[in-house]
Amino acid sequence: MHISDGVMPTSLALGSGAVSLAVAAWSSRATRAEDLPKVAVVAAAFFVAATVHVPLGPTSVHLLLPGLVGALLGPSAFLAIALGLVLQSLMFQFGGLTALGGNALLMGLPALACGLLFQLFRGGGAKRQMLVGGLCGGLGIVGSAIILALLLAFSGEDFLGVARLALAAHLPVVVIETLIAAFIVRFLHKVKPEMLEAPFTLKRDRP
Amino acid sequence: MTNPILQLPWPVLVLLLGLLVACLWLALVAARRMAGAVESGPDGMLPLLGGAAAQRSPLHDWDPRFKIAAILAFAFLVVSLRQPPLVAAALAVALMIIPLGRLPWSRPLRRIAAMNGFLAMFLVVMPLTAVVRPGDALIVFGGLESWPFNLRGLLLALTIVGKAWCVALLMEPLLATAPLGATLEGLARLGVPRRVGELLLIAHRYIHVFFDEQQRMRSGMVARAFRPDHRLDRMRDYGNFVGMLLVRSYERTHRVFEAMQARGYAGAMPGHYRFTANAADWLKTILLLAFGVGLLLADRLAGGGA
Repeated sequence: MHISDGVMPTSLALGSGAVSLAVAAWSSRATRAEDLPKVAVVAAAFFVAATVHVPLGPTSVHLLLPGLVGALLGPSAFLAIALGLVLQSLMFQFGGLTALGGNALLMGLPALACGLLFQLFRGGGAKRQMLVGGLCGGLGIVGSAIILALLLAFSGEDFLGVARLALAAHLPVVVIETLIAAFIVRFLHKVKPEMLEAPFTLKRDRP
Repeated sequence: MTNPILQLPWPVLVLLLGLLVACLWLALVAARRMAGAVESGPDGMLPLLGGAAAQRSPLHDWDPRFKIAAILAFAFLVVSLRQPPLVAAALAVALMIIPLGRLPWSRPLRRIAAMNGFLAMFLVVMPLTAVVRPGDALIVFGGLESWPFNLRGLLLALTIVGKAWCVALLMEPLLATAPLGATLEGLARLGVPRRVGELLLIAHRYIHVFFDEQQRMRSGMVARAFRPDHRLDRMRDYGNFVGMLLVRSYERTHRVFEAMQARGYAGAMPGHYRFTANAADWLKTILLLAFGVGLLLADRLAGGGA
């Protein structure tokens, strides 16, 4: 779920914008300059993956996959998510214009954390990678739900009810994302395991 | 407490909730139809950014640098408003800007429809959960004394809806009145690193490529009798589907990058756009900003907070 325009007070909107600009700058510096176009293409792939809708009761939810973006892109994940969010806002209005900074934080910070977790604990076996990948997928949604609730709570005491409801609404999404992320990681492990190894965008010596 | 309280029998609440549920259901149907359109519609369902440059209007003729700066600043001024009448005034101006740019109504309306699920949640939840302050008008339904319907909460939710709609209406005038390249070049002249614009252009291009790829894969799945569902083996199918999409796009990423290098890409793309500002550009910018600042001043002078 994204915050729309008009919810956060301007100070919070500008503040979260400044923080996410700083993190995005760090993220692009952690990426080799010549790899930046690749990050943009991968961001496009995740953007399209997020248009996949899974039916849920009377409605449907679309995939978010912040944990998986982090696992595959490492430190560049924040930049990819920021690019995706800007385009999503420009194309569909999801995430608004003045709330972009807050939305980048709520998707991007969990992605960075999950990326670190995945690289630390993924191990080598298929079962273990699937388990860790699924956990990262679920934790990514938990993290972004918590940041969303915090941003709403900081917007004023009147928003506490909405913040609680938003947290509750994420619970079924956590289950779905955990399962799908686990299956995606299993698929990648079978088909293209090098995608799960150290992210291509991490700075390293050229061969 | 000194709150003006209106007592109503509980059937009124049932009636109101029924109305709300009906509205929500309509919003859900609309959202679902849009989701369905995005998923399975014919080509071109993903909107292309950037407009037909040949058209002429006061907005198309506006220098992109000035247009971006003015509309962005105006958006921030609008979201700072707190008084409902002033939000309504901002919304009215945003509504007038669209015919001024000779823009069709379909895409602004689609943007508004996209947000309505999120905004509906505010409209339903805020009146019932807003903190009761002295002076708030309350409606209390018989038998449900602990959940008073707070009119201040409703007003707050309505201002949020108004502000979000206003910014949504400004997006088409901002984006559809110049080619995307010109808009991004304008951003670069305003101090945004040129790399950011290039990455946005690349991502925008490949979103459309991968979307087509996804549509092809989806028709393949449907032809093989896939039915969307949330059972566990469907989750596996979704996982394989997204995994395949990612594998294909990774492979394409490397091909794209090699093709760019073969054409001499060394970290920067050539620019095509030249901008010249004239008096009219300044005038339009000053008009919009003066209106925005005026709204904000009126907002803060007339009582401070909502």
